[in-house]
Parts: sequence; structure tokens; C-alpha cells
Amino acid sequence: MNVSKDIKQGEVLLEIDQIQMFFGKVCALNGVSTKIKKGEIHSVIGPNGAGKTVMLNCISGLYHPQKGNVYYKGEKINGMSPHNRAELGIARTFQKVEVFGGMTVLDNIRLGRHIHYKSGIMSGSLYMGKTAKEEIEHRKFIEEGIIDLLEIEHIRHKPVGMLPYGLQKRVELGRAIALEPELLLLDEPLAGLNLEEVEDMARFILDVNQDEKWKVTCILVEHDMGVVMDLSDNVFVLNFGNMIVDGSPEEVQGNPEVVKAYLGEEDLYATRR
Amino acid sequence: MSTTFLPCGVYHENYKQDHAWWQTKFIKSKMFLLFITLFFIIPWISDSYSLSICNQIGYTILGALGVQLLIGFCGQVTLGHAAFLAVGAYVSTLLVLEFPWPAVFVELGLAYPLSIFIAAIAAGLWCVLFGLPSARVKGFYLILTTMAAQFITVDFIITQYISQIGGRGQAFSLPPGTIKVGPWVIDSDVKVYYMMIVLTIICVVGVVNLLRSRVGRAWVAIRDNDISAEVMGINIIKYKLLAFFVAGFIGGIAGAVWISNLAAISPEHFPWFWSLWLVGVILIGGVGSIHGTIFGSIFMVVVMEALQMAVIPLADTYPKLLMDFLFIKEAAFGLAICGFLIFEPNGLAYRWWQIKNYFNLWPFSY
Repeated sequence: MNVSKDIKQGEVLLEIDQIQMFFGKVCALNGVSTKIKKGEIHSVIGPNGAGKTVMLNCISGLYHPQKGNVYYKGEKINGMSPHNRAELGIARTFQKVEVFGGMTVLDNIRLGRHIHYKSGIMSGSLYMGKTAKEEIEHRKFIEEGIIDLLEIEHIRHKPVGMLPYGLQKRVELGRAIALEPELLLLDEPLAGLNLEEVEDMARFILDVNQDEKWKVTCILVEHDMGVVMDLSDNVFVLNFGNMIVDGSPEEVQGNPEVVKAYLGEEDLYATRR
Repeated sequence: MSTTFLPCGVYHENYKQDHAWWQTKFIKSKMFLLFITLFFIIPWISDSYSLSICNQIGYTILGALGVQLLIGFCGQVTLGHAAFLAVGAYVSTLLVLEFPWPAVFVELGLAYPLSIFIAAIAAGLWCVLFGLPSARVKGFYLILTTMAAQFITVDFIITQYISQIGGRGQAFSLPPGTIKVGPWVIDSDVKVYYMMIVLTIICVVGVVNLLRSRVGRAWVAIRDNDISAEVMGINIIKYKLLAFFVAGFIGGIAGAVWISNLAAISPEHFPWFWSLWLVGVILIGGVGSIHGTIFGSIFMVVVMEALQMAVIPLADTYPKLLMDFLFIKEAAFGLAICGFLIFEPNGLAYRWWQIKNYFNLWPFSY
């Protein structure tokens, strides 16, 4: 399938239509639908076990929902495998960092650009001319575009497995944006970070979303309400597989059902601060 | 393993320098010396016996390189690699002995080199066939399917059917003069040595280059985390099978080259123990390191030869030692692996890395 249409700012980039996902008899998603517009940060919130990660897995192709459709740029991508979806421009990070622990930071980010490299088994084993040039070009992009943005110059040659958690999260974000995605799925990018790291990470997400060079649409799954309400254009609330509300942050905060199910009656921004 | 530290005062000004293989003048001259040693000094000072040990080392390196690629870099545990060596050896032998080559090919000595290439491709494809289950299974279960490769290929197909070709029954004898590369008839240890060293260097260089380009990174990513590798756009089944192909290809080269060192080839040259041996070599050398493959091969071959030397003087008093040497060898093999797993689980390559870094940072090691 060839999806290469250009979608303008504000048009629907990804549409989820009535997806249902069961694990045995457990219903993880029960007819959830939403539309993600290009250029926005669309957050998904909800209590633990609500089905947020399942939803991301359905979008990135790790799970295939039993019912319902996923449309990317207007084309159905239901049966596509994850690696084909990556080629369409869907990248993601994971809740528990899933970096390549044995590779260096640089190699992790290079691997994110896998679909942009051209060399194969013959040219790779010779490592001459084109392959060497390609490696240098991509290195330039990575150094100037990603390592500089994420401020990880000092660790570029370190194996990622030996880095602290906060930096691993940052490397994972770098790996995901190295793909030059149009749609970035962020699964709890702030979980387990300290306040300073949270601020850094939020800044990176905003950079990636707003910067002319990137302009990446983000789907953000996060528990940190302060960040979610500040960053998002739209918020989508899930509760045990059911959608409660999908709207702007103000709408969500005002919705009594959301408050009852998730946010709680107290001060919204009490988390972390 | 992370990259080695550069010596004090060495900086890179562009990416090309950083991507270069040998980054300082010192390393370049060191490697130049190594090549001179390999190509001139070793054949010059060695007698036939030590050259035959060198050939064994080369054979072990070529065999273990494929195993290292699969286990150390792609994470696909294999316990049947001798089967692919056997496929390479047998395809090459059959092509040399039975295939009606045009007279020009035989005269120019192209038959054997061509047969090596075809044997390597055949072994690679055979390896892919047994790698197919890797699309579905991981870990222990994959070990079993690769063991099946060993038993199906060597114990069944080769012993029962291939060996019957030409009515010989057990072994194919390789008459002197059949193995010919260009104008040279490969009939002495020195010639085998040169062929072995050239092919080993080509294979090692090829694999190292693969590992620092797109394909190799995809393999390492699959080893470290296959789910996120797939999400990053890697077709993991394709790349796993590619790894099996390359591993089988190198195994095929190893087998095909090894026949030049043999007077006759039989299934007993490729026992299951040899598959296990190759895994032991990379465990001792260091899993996930090309240096490790080379150091492990040298260590295993030299230690086993030394053991043999040590046993011979004792044979007068304890004749059983010599008679049952195979058991001693196996015991030593097991002991060596246990020792390394306990005391240096990262293998010899890690020690090498430590030593290199120590001297690069010396005298300011903090």
C-alpha cells in the first residue's frame, strides 16, 4: 500500500474507528473512536488498565483489533505489520524503555533511521563509496538534528544499557524522532523522571511538535496531569476500554464523569508540584 | 561493548575520521605489522606442523564467525552449525569431483574457486531453510530446530544418500591435484595456509563492515529488543533470515576450504560435537565480539594441541591417556567453558579491550 499523500496542518492524520480489542473475555477497548489532526498533541489519559497502551499498540500495529478500523491519511492500515507502518511515518516510544541496551547511543539513533538508509548486504559488507557516504550524511543529520536537540553529546558513544533511566528515555525519544515520523506515539515519556527531567522532556516534545523542521503530530499517553493539560491540544479520556470524553483540556477538566473516574475531586495540579 | 578510548591528544575533525576503521597512525602501523606477520613471517618461520595448527585456527575462525553472527549479533542461538560446514564441504567436493566442468575451467584452475562460491551459497540457503522456524520461535525452541539441522543434514541426508553418490559408500577421496586454485595445486600446508588466511580476512572484514552498516545494526537491534526493532521499521523475519544466510554462507566457505586440507571427506568430519565446539569457542572468546571469535579460536586450538603435547610423555606410564584422548579433550573443553563463564563471562575479548584501554589512557587512567 502506498500512502504518500500530503496532509495539511489541521486535517485528519489518523482516524480510529470503533476499534474493539479483546484478550480472551477481557475487553480492553470497547468501540473506541477518535480523530488525530495533523500538528496537534493529542493526549490519552485514564486510570491504570484503561487500555491506553493497547490503543497505542493498535495504532503502531503490535496488536490487531478484532473489530474496527484504523485509517492513516485516509487509508485503511488494519492488517499492516509494524515495520510497514514505520515506513509510513509512525514512530513510537515505550512505557518501559525498550532501547537496544548493547548498542551505543549513536547506534540506537542510527537504527531509528533504518528506513532511510539504503545499503544492503553486498554494499554493506564492502563499505565503500555509497555506503560510506550515506553513513556520513546520516551521521551529520543525527548529530546536528537530534543529538544537539536532545543534549546528549556527552554520551553518544556510551552503551545505552549503562545509562541512567532518564537518559535512556531521552535516547528512546531520539531514536523515535530519527525516523522523521509524521505521527509520534509517546507512551508515558515522563514516567519515573525527576522534575528537571520532566521539564526537559516536555520541552523536547514541544520542540518536536512545533519546530518547522519536525512538525510531528504526537499522541501522548501520560499520567502527569500538569504536563498533559499544558501541552495538549486535545485530551482523550479512557476508562476500562470505554471512551468518556474527547475534547480540549478545559472541557475534560470540567467533565464530572472524568473527575469521578480519574482526576479526583482535589486540586488537579497537585501531582508532582 | 563500547568503543575503545582514543589515546590522549587524538581528536577527530570530521565524521569520516570517526567512521574510519583504523583511526590513528599507531593502529595503522600495528595492523601493517600484523599483516606482514601473517603473510610473510608465519609461513617463513613455521614448519609443517605449526602451519597445520594455523590452518585449524583459520578453519575454526571461519566456522565460529557464522556462529558468532547468529548468537552474538543476531541473538538466534544455533547448535547445528557443523551441518552448514558439511553442506559447504560436500557441495564443493561433489562439484569438483563429479561436475562436468569445461576443460578450460579445469585448466585455468577455476573449478575449485567457483565451487567454493556455489557451496557457500548452497550452505547459506540450507541455513535459511533451518532458520525459517526463527520467525515463530525463540530461545530454547530455536536451539532444537537448529539441532535438527545437524541430524537431518549430516546423520541422515549426507550419510545415507550423498555418500552413496559414485558408489563409494562412506568417504569421498580427494585425489592429489583435484584441488587447484588458478595455477597452483593446493597440495601443501603453506598453500592451504595462504588460501585460508585470504578467505578468513575477507570474511572477517565483510562481517565487520556489515556490522557497522544498516544490516548489522538491524541484527544487533533484533538481538537486544525484537519488538522495538520491529516498531522502528525493521522487517525482523527478513533480517533474521539474512543473518542465517550470511552465517551459512561463511560456514559454507569454511567447509569448502577445509576440504583442501583433507585427503578424504566423510560425515565424521562434521559431528554434532563440532557444532557445540564452535559455540564454546565464541563463549570463551566473548559473545558479541569479532575479536572474541578470533581469540577464542586461537585459544581453543592451541590449548587442545598443548594438551596433546602434554599427554604424549605420560603415555608410556598411562597408555589409557592417549587411547582415550578424546574424553580428555572434551573434559578440558567443558572445564574451559565453566572457567570462563565463572571468571570472565565476557570472554577473552573483554580482557583485550581492558588492556587496550589501559594503555590508551596510560598514565592518566582516571
